[in-house]
Amino acid sequence: MENALHVENLAKSYKRRVRKPGLAGAFQSMFSAKTEEFHAVKGISFSIKRGEKVGLIGENGAGKSTTLKMLTGIIVPTGGQLEVLGLVPWQKRRQLALNIGVVFGQRPQLLWDIPVRETFKLLKDMYHIPNGVFEITYPEAVKRLDLEPLLSTPVRLLSLGQRMRCDLAASLLHAPAVAFLDEPTIGLDLTVKEQVREYIRDMQNRFGITLLITTHDLKDITEVCDRLLLLDKGKLLFDGSLKAFEKRFANESRIVAELHQPATPASLKKLSAEIKRYGGAITLSEGHRLILEYREAGAAPALTQILLKRQKVVDLTLEKTDIDTIVTRIYRKPAGEKMKP
Amino acid sequence: MRPLQPPLTLLSSFQSYASYFVRCLKASFAYRAATITNLLTAAVSYSITIMIWRQVYSQNPNLLISSDQMYVYLLLAGCVNYAMIMNIEFRISQRIRNGLVATDLLKPVDFQIAQGIQAISDGFFNGSMGIMVFLCGFFVFGTRMLPPDFPCFCLFMISFLLGFTVMYGVCFVFVQGAFYTYSGYGIMASRNALQLTFSGVSAPLAFYPPLLKTIADWLPFKHIIYSPISIYMGWAKNADAYQLILQQACWAVFLFVLGKLIMKHALKQLEVQGG
Repeated sequence: MENALHVENLAKSYKRRVRKPGLAGAFQSMFSAKTEEFHAVKGISFSIKRGEKVGLIGENGAGKSTTLKMLTGIIVPTGGQLEVLGLVPWQKRRQLALNIGVVFGQRPQLLWDIPVRETFKLLKDMYHIPNGVFEITYPEAVKRLDLEPLLSTPVRLLSLGQRMRCDLAASLLHAPAVAFLDEPTIGLDLTVKEQVREYIRDMQNRFGITLLITTHDLKDITEVCDRLLLLDKGKLLFDGSLKAFEKRFANESRIVAELHQPATPASLKKLSAEIKRYGGAITLSEGHRLILEYREAGAAPALTQILLKRQKVVDLTLEKTDIDTIVTRIYRKPAGEKMKP
Repeated sequence: MRPLQPPLTLLSSFQSYASYFVRCLKASFAYRAATITNLLTAAVSYSITIMIWRQVYSQNPNLLISSDQMYVYLLLAGCVNYAMIMNIEFRISQRIRNGLVATDLLKPVDFQIAQGIQAISDGFFNGSMGIMVFLCGFFVFGTRMLPPDFPCFCLFMISFLLGFTVMYGVCFVFVQGAFYTYSGYGIMASRNALQLTFSGVSAPLAFYPPLLKTIADWLPFKHIIYSPISIYMGWAKNADAYQLILQQACWAVFLFVLGKLIMKHALKQLEVQGG
């Protein structure tokens, strides 16, 4: 299948003025031109095929949005090569804009002072959306994202959640070949998040849109995407399917127990020593709650038996580590160990 | 898989810009109260200028032009200046500062032309106030407010439109500074100071000391107000009028190209930080 995006050794660095702290520092910086180089993206490479649904995750400042801005042609890379739909984004920004849809969760593309409906009409003219497409995408967006009550309201009067829904509709009205969605569910409540994910999924299915979604809500990824890119401090740490990601990192399971009374330090010490033989470890002991984690397959019965023998347990559940936990753990690991399972 | 949509042709771009113009005009009504306040403040400022000149004429009636001609000039300068008030420096610098310029750059239209469309919609709204000032002047000065003949009026219209283009070109070139400084205030203030001094909004350039007049001749600002009004009042006729129009056209083209070049450079080092 044809590539929608191809990125090779993509890098972006900025020069930043170095300012000393305090008022004196601010005054000094007026006369000193001392700068330092900040590397936001450090030579990443990946390709995305047409119609793929890819999630891009990473901590704050990992370089997700900078990557997206380079892919959309807003900012110019300082190194490497990139092509989106066969075009170099920053050189063919306007032509590319006709073929992509973009949501920057914190920067609405809607016209601030006029009703939402007017922006949609403007986008129809601006993107030259054929009637055949607009007659499908417009009512679909209005119905699915529940926009009818918002259409006559000036954008500046909308809440963040309402604006996000309108912004998402605006970005997909022209059924673009590629959609870059930067935090498309930011500021939405749980029900609306579901609604939005379903809408994105259906639009993708219907028009074969290539999706690249950045988010901090991993449900956006698990429910919409089938491939994951993990960025950390400007570097690509993982590129593969969600299944491969889970297989690599989610080999931990846990036993969550509700104790009759909080465990004493001495009993915890004994328990810890015993479960160690089966690859288990206590990861949390807080009040009545106790969590054991283990990696070895088939260790659950032995660990449960030891736990029941050592503590008076009121309730007990076995859980497999979810993607949120895995990602949080990766973020917390020191730089050199992040990719160790 | 759908084929890639080709770049827009000039004709199809026109449809985009026309639609954008309509929306910008609607948007400008959203801030009518703020705009009218600005325009009323400007009216106070023009009234003070006229009062100063009244005082000058009361002490020395034999100046280069009659007092009536001077008042008509100042009223016309006020009208033209109203139509030239555009908020693009404030708007663009704000959008650069808060990163919203990113969403402008994601549209399939030319940024410079799109901002020009916004400026025209500003001009339409503010120009309507200029027409009111003209009608007030007509009520006081009668036919002295009108151009000497119809050809003068036609040439004035061409000159006025070119003056608008020059004004937009100046603003656009100046506001590029915000891509580097991330603040539009100093840029707006310096452009405004130069424009107030050299455009002829407070006095015809014939009254300027030779050095200032020479500087004004080498800058684009006089083509924003002084040149169109000189043609309107019949001070510049035939070859002189054509020459002014030609100069305006050259400045308009030069500033447009300069704006494009500076922006190309500015975009290369644009930082839109944060998520």
